[in-house]
Amino acid sequence: MNGKILKALYRKEMLDILRDKKTILMMIVVPLILYPLIFMLSMYMASSMLTASTSKSYRVSVQEVAEPQEMEIFLLETEKEHDYDFIIVDSYTEHRDSETALREGEIDAYLIQSVSENKPYYEIAYLASETDSQTAAGMLQDMMKDYRDKMRRELLEEQGLDSEQILSPVGYAYKDLSSNEENAGNLLGYMIPFLMITSILMGAMYPAIDTTAGEKERGTLETMLTMPVRNLELITAKFLATSTVAVAAAFLNLLSMGLLGAYTYSSMQYAGSAGGLNVFSYLPAILIMLLCVIVFAMFASGACLSACIFARSFKEAQNYTSPVMIIFMLGGMAGMIPSLRLNETTALIPVVNITLLISELFKFHFDLSLIAMVLFSNIAYAGVTIVLMTRFFSSENILFGDAAVSLKLMEARKDMKAKQIPGVGDVILLFSVLLLVILFAGSLAVVRLGICGLLVEQGLLFAVTAFYAWYIRTDAVKVFHLRRPRVFSVIAAVLCWAGGYLLIQVLANGLMGLFPDLSQENTQMLVGLWEGVPLWLLVLAVAVFPAVCEETVFRGFLLGALEHKYSAPAAVIVTGLLFGLYHMSLLQFVLIGLLGILFSYVAWKEQCIWLSILMHFLNNLTSLLLQQFEEPITKRIPALAGEMNGSTVFFVLLAGAVLLAAGLFLLQFRGKRGELK
Amino acid sequence: MRIRAEQLCKKFNRMVADGNRKGKSRQEEFYAVDHVCLEAKGGEILGVLGPNGAGKTTLLRMLGRLMEPTQGQVSVLDDEGRILTDEIEAKRHIGYLSENTRLYKRLSVREMLKTIAEIYGLSTEEQQERIARIAEVMKLQDFIDNRIERLSTGQTQRASIARCLVHAPEIYIFDEPTLGLDILSSESIIEFMRGERDRGRAVLYSTHYMEEAQYLCDRILMIYRGGIIADGTPEALMNETGTENLRETFRVLIDQTEQGLVSGRGTAKEGEA
Repeated sequence: MNGKILKALYRKEMLDILRDKKTILMMIVVPLILYPLIFMLSMYMASSMLTASTSKSYRVSVQEVAEPQEMEIFLLETEKEHDYDFIIVDSYTEHRDSETALREGEIDAYLIQSVSENKPYYEIAYLASETDSQTAAGMLQDMMKDYRDKMRRELLEEQGLDSEQILSPVGYAYKDLSSNEENAGNLLGYMIPFLMITSILMGAMYPAIDTTAGEKERGTLETMLTMPVRNLELITAKFLATSTVAVAAAFLNLLSMGLLGAYTYSSMQYAGSAGGLNVFSYLPAILIMLLCVIVFAMFASGACLSACIFARSFKEAQNYTSPVMIIFMLGGMAGMIPSLRLNETTALIPVVNITLLISELFKFHFDLSLIAMVLFSNIAYAGVTIVLMTRFFSSENILFGDAAVSLKLMEARKDMKAKQIPGVGDVILLFSVLLLVILFAGSLAVVRLGICGLLVEQGLLFAVTAFYAWYIRTDAVKVFHLRRPRVFSVIAAVLCWAGGYLLIQVLANGLMGLFPDLSQENTQMLVGLWEGVPLWLLVLAVAVFPAVCEETVFRGFLLGALEHKYSAPAAVIVTGLLFGLYHMSLLQFVLIGLLGILFSYVAWKEQCIWLSILMHFLNNLTSLLLQQFEEPITKRIPALAGEMNGSTVFFVLLAGAVLLAAGLFLLQFRGKRGELK
Repeated sequence: MRIRAEQLCKKFNRMVADGNRKGKSRQEEFYAVDHVCLEAKGGEILGVLGPNGAGKTTLLRMLGRLMEPTQGQVSVLDDEGRILTDEIEAKRHIGYLSENTRLYKRLSVREMLKTIAEIYGLSTEEQQERIARIAEVMKLQDFIDNRIERLSTGQTQRASIARCLVHAPEIYIFDEPTLGLDILSSESIIEFMRGERDRGRAVLYSTHYMEEAQYLCDRILMIYRGGIIADGTPEALMNETGTENLRETFRVLIDQTEQGLVSGRGTAKEGEA
C-alpha cells in the first residue's frame, strides 16, 4: 500500500462526502436539532400527561347489596387523603346496568358487591384496554386496601386488642446502598449503547452508500480504475473516510445528548428533585467509551461498506444495508437483557460486545482484559471486512455487471444452462438455510416425534439440498462426486476412518481433561431419547440417515462447489470446519471439524462420496454401539472405561497414526480407473 | 512506448430468444471481442472504427486494464521493447478517456487535478507546475476553480482530457472523445491528439465519425462483430476497396464480411458495447 496515494484518495473521499448536502443533513441536523426537538416534545407530552392524570376526576359507580352504602361513604371520606377525585355515578338510575355504562364510557370503573356466605366480597370491574379505566381501577384497589385495614382495626379493637401490635408486629424499611452515580449509571448503561450504535450506524451508512454505489452511479469509479490505484488502497481510503464521518456523527450525537442530559439535570436540580451527582465520576467510563466509538465506527463502516460495495445502484445499496441496520439495532439492545453479561465469549460477539462493555463501564465495572478484548476484536473484524472486500472487489464485477459473490438461486431456472457448478453465494445461502432448518424444524421434530424426529431432520437436510441443487441445475455427478468407488479406495477409506477415529478419541480425552466444562455439553441430551428404542431404528436414525444426508450436504454440495472455486486444500478444510460448525458446540467443532476434514479429503481425492458416506456411517455406528453396550464392553476391556492412562494413550495414538498413514498411502495409488474422466 | 494486444477475447452472457420454446429466452455466451491482435506505436494515431455494438469499447477497456480479458493478453512495452509486467506500473503510462469516465462533480477542476497528481506521486512543485501548464494548454483558466457540476459540456470534456494529461502518459486511449461535441470543441480535441502524436506518443482512438478518422488517423482498424475486418492506412483501405472515402470503404468491407459469414462460418457473432 502506498501512503501518498492513500492520503490523496482519503482527502478526495472526504471532500466528496462533505460536499454532499445529504450527509451534512444526517450528520448535523439530526443530532443537533432533531434530537433536542424530540426530547423536548416528549418531555412536554410526559408532563402534560402527568398533570392531566392528577387533575382528572374519574367517574365510578358503587353497587352494594344493602344500605347503608358503606363503601361509597368510605370512598368519599378518604379520597381527600389520596388526592383522588371520584365522581360517584349512580348507575342504577341512569343506566340499567354498570357494565353497559362502563363499555359506553359513562363511567371509568365500578365496584360491585356480591353476596358471599361469610364475608363481604367486592369486585373491581374495569377495562384493561382503556388507560383511564386502568387508573381508576388502581385507585379503587388502593381504597379497598385501606377499607380492609380499617375493618381489621375495628374488628380487633372491638375485641379489646392492640390493633397496631397485631397488624404490624415487625417493622422494616429499605436502605439503598448504591450511590446516585451508580443508579444513574445503570440507566445510562441501557440507553447510551443503543443511542451510540444507532448514531454511528446512521453516520456510517450514508457515506458508505455514497462512496460505493453512489460513485458507481455517478460514473467516477471507472475513472478511478484508469489510474494506478490498487484495490486495497481504494477500499482502505473509502473505509477511513466512512469511519471518519461515522466517528464525527457519533461525537456530535453524544455531545448533543450530553448537553441535553446536562440541561435536564441542572433543571431538575433547580427544581430540587435530583440528588447530588458527581458527574466527574463518569470520566473514565466516558473516555473508554470514546475509544469504543472509534473502534466501533470502524467496524460499522466495514460492515456497511461490504454490504454496499456489491450494489449496482444507490437503491440496491439501501436495500443491502437494511439487514445490517436491523442486526446492529438488535445487538444494541443486548444491554437490556439482564442475564447477558460481558465475559470472554460475549466480548467476541460483534455489536453485542460494545453494548455490554459500555453498560458495564457505566456501572463502574472495569475489567481491563475484557475492555482490550472488545476493542481489539472490533479492530480485527474491521480488518477482516477490508481484506474480504479487497478480495472480492474486482473492477469487472462492480462496474460491468456480474455480481462478485454469485448467487445462482437468484436467476430464473429457465435461464440456466444445465450442468452448473454452484457459487460461493450458494454455499453460504444453503449452509445458513440448513442451520436454520436444524435449529427450528429439526428440534421441533425431535421434541414431537422423538427418535423419528431425527429421521425427519436428516430427511429435511437431504430434501433442501437436493431441491436447491435441482433448482440451479447442478452438475450432479461433478458436484456430488457420484463415482463408483474402487475396491482399493474402500479399504483405504476404512483404514483412514479407523486411524482418524482413534486419534480423535485421544484428542477428545485430552481436551476433556483440559477443559472439564466442555465434556458436560450436549451428550446428556440425546441419550434420553434413545431409551427403549429398538436397535435397528437407532442404527437407522443415528448412523445410516446422518451418513447419507449429511454427506450429501457437506461432501456433496459444499465440497463440490468450493473445490471448483478455490484450491483443493482450502475447499477440504473449509468444508470440514463447516461440518464442525454445524454441530454447534465448541468441543464438537474441533473434533468433528477434524473428522470432517478427513472425510472431505478422502471424498475429494477419490471424487467419490460413497467413501465418505461409508466412513461417516462407520463412525456414527461405532459411537452408537459403544454407548449402547457400554457395560459388557468395559467389562471385557477395562482400558476403555474412564480416562485413558499414559500407556493406553500411547498405544492408541500409535495404532491410529499407523492406520491413518496406511489409509492415506493406499489412497495415493491410482489404478487404471483412477484418472478422472 | 507501445501497447500490444495478443489474441484478445472477451466473453459475455446475453439473453436470446429460445428457438425451441416460444416466448421464452435463455442465456447465451458470445464473444464481444474475438481474438483481436493489434499494436499501437509511439508517433501514430490508430483509429478503431466500427458501428455501435462492434466491441470497440470492450476492446479499449481491456487495453486500458479496466477489464480482464477472457483470453489473450495486453502488454505495455517500453522503448527498449521490455514488457512492463506490473499491471499498476503499466497503468501509469496510459491515459484513458471514455464517455463513461466521469469526473468528481463535487470537486473543482483544480482539486481533481491535484488529487490525480498526488495519486501519480508528483511532488508539490511538480503538481503546481503541471496543473498550470495543463490549464494553459486546455484553456481551463476561466473555470479551474469552479466545481465540475457547474461546467458546460465542452468545458467538462476539456477538463476530462486535462485529467488524462496530469501524469504525461505515453499512450492515450480515447473512446469516442468527440461524441456529442460541437465543432469547436471537437476540433480542439483533434488538435490535441495531433500534437501528442507529433511529440511521439501513441494515440489509440475509437470513433464512428468516418470523415474525422479519414483525415486524422495514420492507421485504421475496422472492427465488426468483435473481430478486425481491415487494418491499414486510410489510403490503402480506400485503394483496396476502390472507394473514394472511408464511409464507402466501411460499407463495402462490412458487406464483404456479411457475405463471408453467410457462405463461411454460418454462426454470427455479434458484439455489444
